[in-house]
Amino acid sequence: MIAGYLKRLGEDLRKDWQLYLLILPMLLWIVLFLYKPMEGLQIAFKDFSPFRGIAGSPWVGLENFRTLLGDQIFIRAFVNTITISGLGLIFAFPVPIVLAIMFNELQSELGRRFSQTIVYLPHFISVVIVAGIVINLLSPTTGVVNLILSSLGLDRVYFLTQPEWFRTIFIGSNVWKEAGFESIVYLAAIAGISPTLYESARVDGASRWQMMWRITLPCILPTIIIMLIIRIGNLVEVGFEYIILLYQPATYRTADVVSTYVYRTGLQGTQYDLATAAGLFNAVIAFALVFAANRISRKVSTTSLW
Amino acid sequence: MRYFRDTLALLATCALLQSGPAYAQDASTKITDDPLELTIHFHFRDKYVYTEDWPVEKKAAEWTGIHVKNVASLATSSSRDAFNLLMASGNLPDIVGGDVTGGLKDDFIRYGMEGAFMPLDDLIKENAPNLKRFFDEHPIVRQAISAPDGHIYFIPYVPEGEFSRAWFIRRDWLDKLGLKVPENVDELYAVLKAFREKDPNGNGKKDEVPYFAREPIEAVRLINMWDARVSGSERYGDFMIEDGKVAHPWTTPTYRTGISKVAQWFKEGLIDTEVFTRGARVREYMLGNNIGGMTHDWFASTSNYTDALKDSIPGINFAPMLPPKTVSGRRFEDSRRATVQPAGWAISYSNQHPVETIKYFDFWFSEKGRILSNWGIEGETYDMVNGKPVYKQTVLHNPKPVNAQMWEIGAGVPRGYWAAYASEEQWTNKMALDGIAMYEKEPGLLQPEFTGVSMNSDERAVYDKYWPSLLTYMMEMQQTWVLGAQDVDASWDGYVARLDQLGYAKVTEVMQAAYDRQYGKN
Repeated sequence: MIAGYLKRLGEDLRKDWQLYLLILPMLLWIVLFLYKPMEGLQIAFKDFSPFRGIAGSPWVGLENFRTLLGDQIFIRAFVNTITISGLGLIFAFPVPIVLAIMFNELQSELGRRFSQTIVYLPHFISVVIVAGIVINLLSPTTGVVNLILSSLGLDRVYFLTQPEWFRTIFIGSNVWKEAGFESIVYLAAIAGISPTLYESARVDGASRWQMMWRITLPCILPTIIIMLIIRIGNLVEVGFEYIILLYQPATYRTADVVSTYVYRTGLQGTQYDLATAAGLFNAVIAFALVFAANRISRKVSTTSLW
Repeated sequence: MRYFRDTLALLATCALLQSGPAYAQDASTKITDDPLELTIHFHFRDKYVYTEDWPVEKKAAEWTGIHVKNVASLATSSSRDAFNLLMASGNLPDIVGGDVTGGLKDDFIRYGMEGAFMPLDDLIKENAPNLKRFFDEHPIVRQAISAPDGHIYFIPYVPEGEFSRAWFIRRDWLDKLGLKVPENVDELYAVLKAFREKDPNGNGKKDEVPYFAREPIEAVRLINMWDARVSGSERYGDFMIEDGKVAHPWTTPTYRTGISKVAQWFKEGLIDTEVFTRGARVREYMLGNNIGGMTHDWFASTSNYTDALKDSIPGINFAPMLPPKTVSGRRFEDSRRATVQPAGWAISYSNQHPVETIKYFDFWFSEKGRILSNWGIEGETYDMVNGKPVYKQTVLHNPKPVNAQMWEIGAGVPRGYWAAYASEEQWTNKMALDGIAMYEKEPGLLQPEFTGVSMNSDERAVYDKYWPSLLTYMMEMQQTWVLGAQDVDASWDGYVARLDQLGYAKVTEVMQAAYDRQYGKN
């Protein structure tokens, strides 16, 4: 069987060598940058010292994982990660879809381009700047939000030091920053829908609302599902840069996530072994989540990643 | 050959000893007649590397015959990363050093014990008279940098001087409101209250911020007034030494009282509401807008604001005051200059010229090397006046701060050297000097400094396992209390119990063991 496969591969290579040449750089990239570094994962099972090197550092079995799971702060960070991503999934995931459909329904070409450009723009602003804007807007003394609150006769709120507000601020500002750009994928999917579907619906007297629900949405559903699966794969992943810029010890209770935990203990405290263990732990859970999501999706909607 | 070299060393020693405090002859600083090149990896403060073009380094090469060549790349903007990458590569140049986030002391010791750096004790004993004398005269420095195996693996950057920070207050506001400099907690409370209520800046608005702070370590500094300490060293949230016992200041009964009072003052608006999020430019903001009343910060830099702002804010006088007496009636200053910085340089295991290298390190601790590393080049940046180096007027009156000018020529950089307070004194303004004199006159103001412990690998494993989460939790609760989200008295028992769960007792136990070994039980 393998011999047969190799033979067929050989023939394919000869016949379509241009195509294989095209894919080669990407394959190399994947091997070099995604598979080769996996060698480093063994650090998670070692008492690692950069000077002794990976080979020279002694094995410690699951000690690093035991330390992690025995650490209440890590457990809390893990729960926070899931909570922030989960809430993001519920509240932020639908926004770009809605945006894409709304753009699609805009009649004026000029108005559409104008509004699209405006919602794409925040994506190109560095998170450092975004964090600065958020901090200024929410400042208890000079922030616009608090000026409005106090002019309405309400109490000023020091938002960034209140754990209850952190998730809202984090997810909200992320939506502002990314939703527009993420809608591009859905716009592309909408552009791919055959116009004949709309024409025949119009002949049958369907309203715009009906066309949106019965044609646009079902047609982009596969794209939505794929994006959802990818998103679920990233459920345990919350980027640390933006959180570090926004959080305070006072908001650790809701804001401390696995990546910031790794940053504090692993990189600042140079405990690479522990940091790798946390990363590996995350990756295993992410894999399980993607696998499950894919399974469910295949059963329910016949769309799946593989 | 060996005999010959030792004789040379002995001769050099004699020459140095004879020359005494005056300035040694060129011959005595020559380490080798054949110019020798040593490689060095030295990335510091996230944006500089050791540079052979520095006039100071050129002079040193001329005097010693040893030329150091930098191999660190400026491509990275993190000195910590640069150092870690070097260690991971395993390919070490002759000298490794730097000044990085979190300090290199633990790294020098840890990798030294793993074999990356040479133990320096014997080298110093045999070849480095200046270093030997320095360590004999400053046993605390030697103890502070000793590894658990008793060796020293690096030559540190040693600062000089005692006081670093002070309490500053708007004395002109005090005069305006008819108040005197607060002598105790109650008076301090009254003063801050008056700053808040009585519109000392006279703009008709209640926009004054009685107490503000630039750094996290200063945000809760007012707990001092209830005898609690913020840190045992210049590092935020460090341990402290009390009667030979290692403890964390944020676990003590005085801290409980202090933090609850500070929370109370915060609630009353006596402390900047945004004290935790304001950022590093708060002094410019608070003083420039004429709204800040009091802070705790560095003597020299904070003293400059009165001069800088005297045109825009007539009459401003933001000057040092003695720490008010605490509730128990004593006076103390919580912060002080570090005895030794976790920066400097070490000799790597692959160095073929350890003797020459240690002599080169020794050169910087000689009188001549010390002047070179603090004042720069004679005739260019300083002149000798009555046998003492004095900065040239052109340096003192340059719009650029003197320390920045020195860094540009390679003086005052964190190589293993001994900073001279006398050099800093020459460019410190009068207000700061008077303030320091006032602090120096008051007996017993300084608190014992925790100079760190070197843990062996078992101890370090325990520390690494528990400490990061402990610190996270303590910082979190500190802010939670100050911001008033939880009541101190109601949650204190839970706090102590949680610290215990997170391994506080285990951490202090290993640190105590390391401390007793390093500093001896006395």
